[in-house]
Amino acid sequence: MTEEPRSRIPSLKLVGKDEFSERCASSRGYPAGQTKPVARDVDWTIFMARAQDGDGAAYRRLLEEIAPYLRSLAARRHRDASDIEDAVQDVLLTIHSIRHTYDPARPFAPWLVAIANRRFIDRLRRQGRVRARETSLTIEHETFSEPPANLLESSDRHELEGAINNLPPVQQQAIRLLKLKEMSLKEAATASGMSIASLKVATHRALKSLRKMLADRSDT
Amino acid sequence: MIKTPDLIASLAASATPVRRLRPPVTRAACWLVLAAAVLTLLAIDQGIRPDLGRRLQDPAFAVSMAASLLTGVLAAIAAFLVSLPDRSRLWLLLPMPALVVWLSNIGYQCLIEWIAIGPDGVSFGEATRCFATLVLTSLPLSLAMLVMLRHAAPLRPTTVTLMGSLAVAAITATALSLLHATDATVMILMWNVGTAVLFVGLAGAFGRRMFRRVAPRTFAARD
Repeated sequence: MTEEPRSRIPSLKLVGKDEFSERCASSRGYPAGQTKPVARDVDWTIFMARAQDGDGAAYRRLLEEIAPYLRSLAARRHRDASDIEDAVQDVLLTIHSIRHTYDPARPFAPWLVAIANRRFIDRLRRQGRVRARETSLTIEHETFSEPPANLLESSDRHELEGAINNLPPVQQQAIRLLKLKEMSLKEAATASGMSIASLKVATHRALKSLRKMLADRSDT
Repeated sequence: MIKTPDLIASLAASATPVRRLRPPVTRAACWLVLAAAVLTLLAIDQGIRPDLGRRLQDPAFAVSMAASLLTGVLAAIAAFLVSLPDRSRLWLLLPMPALVVWLSNIGYQCLIEWIAIGPDGVSFGEATRCFATLVLTSLPLSLAMLVMLRHAAPLRPTTVTLMGSLAVAAITATALSLLHATDATVMILMWNVGTAVLFVGLAGAFGRRMFRRVAPRTFAARD
């Protein structure tokens, strides 16, 4: 069994003097400092049971209440803020996909924390693997979406441009849309207003004359 | 990236009613009923080994068979229990005593009656039929287990698969010793331990991937 490579997460801290639970308590009418963790767990149990029966409002409230709690759990394992948010969302999605496994006769918090821990650990392992095997791209590796940045054969390119400019306008348009911009026949038909058949014919003729023109030039 | 409040809103909007899982022991019992059905069908089809009554008098054989059956039952229960997020992992120890008895019993048999397989001890035909039993027992049971435990995919895939395949292996080994007269010790060892190693190994290699395939949608889409 390869569970929990790190020390086991300290047991539930629903109670707490931490800021979050106080905020929750005060937002729900309890004076700050007098948190009612047991009552909250019971609330969550009830919300979850309702959510299992399809009550969207209860489910929403439950998720909104557990999100800050999950965030505080995630903050113990991840440092990056966006990582924490990703981890929280991962847990929320997991809860959603396996919400039928919750048994309302049992307390909700241990179920939640167990899922959260499994997902956090999986995430840490995945990050560890990625860090071990991959190097992220630096600015030097970047290329640009504009074609000139990626084309080395500029002289050939000029030649081709010149040859295309010598074509009749309809053929020029066809070759530009289909070959240079790599549109599909349907897209090119919409863009140019020509029919697919005439586009095909124009492309065929354009390629034929381009081949002839370029061959002539290389002969000379 | 989608914002967490938006995610919550969309999850809440798609909160369709779900059917809660039955208690794990009940679900394990369902699976065991399936296992019993498969064994019965196979017994009807292939016939129980002719010398079963006599062999059951032999304490070593009887203990070994009872232990493998018990291992199967307990491992199934443990697999269903640990597949739930809030159950203790200590449940994994549940089938261990039976497993120890089973394996040590086989080892003991090997030790006291080290018989080589005679020239016509095990014919080729018998081995093929053994293999058929192996596949016919284990395939439906593994698939049923996989589907019944698919919710464990984001939680403890490896552990649950190992436990589930131990259950399948033990049940399959029981089926083999019920249906086939493979008494040469090497064969016993091969079939019993071999089945166990085969399934646990296969599970280790493919468990995660198989789980991912049957896992609930939201999860599979992300990974």
